[in-house]
Amino acid sequence: MSSWKEKPFGFTLIFGLVILGLVILPFFTELYYQTFLTELFVWILFAISFDLIFGYTGLLSFGQALFFGIGGYTITILTRKYGLGTEPGLLLCILIPMVFAWFVGYFSVKLTGIHFVIITIIFAIIANIIGDTWTSLTGGKDGLTFSPRPFRLGFFQINLMDIKGNYYFVLAVVALCYLILRRIVQSPLGKIFVSIRENEERARLIGYHVQRYKLIAFIIAGGLSGLAGGLYSLTLKYAGAGYLHWSVSGHAVVYTIVGGMGTLIGPVVGTGIILSLEHYLVNFLQATDLVVGIVLVVMVLLAPKGIVGLIQSRRKKGKASA
Amino acid sequence: MISNISIALMNGIVWGLIMALIALGLNLIFGLLHVINMAHGALYMLGAVAAWYLIELTGSFWIALIIAPLFVGIVGIMIERGLIRTIEDKPIITIICTFGIMLVIQELVLMIFGGAPRRIDSPITQRFPIFELQYPAMRIMIAFISIILMSGLWIFLKKTKYGLWMRAVVQDREMAVGLGIPVTKVYMWTFAVGSALAAFSGVLAAPIVSVEFMMGREVLIMAFIIVIVGGMGNLAGSVVAAVLISLIQGVGSIFVSPSMAMVFSLAILIIVLLVRPQGLFGE
Repeated sequence: MSSWKEKPFGFTLIFGLVILGLVILPFFTELYYQTFLTELFVWILFAISFDLIFGYTGLLSFGQALFFGIGGYTITILTRKYGLGTEPGLLLCILIPMVFAWFVGYFSVKLTGIHFVIITIIFAIIANIIGDTWTSLTGGKDGLTFSPRPFRLGFFQINLMDIKGNYYFVLAVVALCYLILRRIVQSPLGKIFVSIRENEERARLIGYHVQRYKLIAFIIAGGLSGLAGGLYSLTLKYAGAGYLHWSVSGHAVVYTIVGGMGTLIGPVVGTGIILSLEHYLVNFLQATDLVVGIVLVVMVLLAPKGIVGLIQSRRKKGKASA
Repeated sequence: MISNISIALMNGIVWGLIMALIALGLNLIFGLLHVINMAHGALYMLGAVAAWYLIELTGSFWIALIIAPLFVGIVGIMIERGLIRTIEDKPIITIICTFGIMLVIQELVLMIFGGAPRRIDSPITQRFPIFELQYPAMRIMIAFISIILMSGLWIFLKKTKYGLWMRAVVQDREMAVGLGIPVTKVYMWTFAVGSALAAFSGVLAAPIVSVEFMMGREVLIMAFIIVIVGGMGNLAGSVVAAVLISLIQGVGSIFVSPSMAMVFSLAILIIVLLVRPQGLFGE
């Protein structure tokens, strides 16, 4: 599990190469693929933020759609109604969902197991109904469209209406978030999350305030899910109540399980595989979720640790026999 | 106004009894496997869709009412035997697995049945007056059938060998194994009965709502609410909660919009979850 950590240089090299590859890729591909990859980056952020609470802390939340949807509304409404720039808007895409995550989490972490799953679903449903009916704020069933302002940082400026500009912007933000999350899960805080997942009772006996740490994980994940929602709205130029529906959280569940929960690279791999599969299947199959469902069921039954888990166990076996 | 309220009360009871059936199925499976079956709403939908095909084929609602639940019960057995059996001791993994099964069933129906909603005509078209309004006799029939089914379930659980085994496994699994009860068989039959109940619920709901591949999604949540409020593992609690909640929602919808009535009952559910996670009628 800590093979990356033993070789920090190896991680830096691979991470750098992947980012470099993604930076030069737009010079060789069509706009169509750039849009696809931009959306892929957004879902990666959504999946790794979900993995922090599920894979690392052991809490199955089907409520992440709530934060994703609110993040989308935040940037859309602030830009549309109040003419706010993208920089403070994106910051609020993290902060406002964090406040919601604090509220939802405050109640939810009191519950465990199935009850936790259900209460997070219920909160997301309430948000979805409110998003659907509060038409004056959210645009109701039609949702809201907007034109994002350019992102400025000193002299540096990115035009987000441009597909390539948007691609680089989302890539940079998601890469940064990946590094931050990596830092978090390797820190002592991350170890506490894992200890709660492994044995909540023991973590409590050691003296950790388990509910508080669960809440911290929930708030961090909520903020990053919100950021993912904000980036998604920047990409689509649209926000709608559909993204608040609890089943949207299912995307993160699928990507994380297929790739490998409890590792950050797992959800990245899972998102890449599932979205590419859908992208390919959509040409000749109306019901792409059918294949997604089958893949999910097969993975859960045969390889609950996901693709990354499979590779790791194979590597271990190789080492043992050598 | 009085006629409006009395219609709302009647509808509340009828819909409550339909919801009680699906909630009983969900609760039965929960009581035994300690797992929330996320595919339960999809099984409800599958029941309604199967009924639509059977009615096209035979022209009889009553034949569909018997065959469709049998079919879904067999699907339930296949799900339990083929998929869930190996992970039954891991509740969270099972939730994710049944979520995947939900996707598969929904999308298969979308492919075969199509995305457009279809109607099932009610086999009884007579109406009778309530105050100055007319009430369809079919709905009374639906309520009546639901009650018969629930009585049947009660007799099954109390009077048959399998019912006794099921109750024994719910009470103490280790002990049941020790006494030689074939626990894996009991799991299989529980899943079959639970799935068939969801399908009965779907067939009975079909003449009231329209049949489409997403019809189970909202109903699944309704069934969650009922099972939690009534108490997980408490079957009688589920029936009471189902009728109570749908009465409150039905009558509430006269005064506020249906979505506000829904938000209101969800907020109550959160309070129940936090204050009495064992349900309102548990010990």
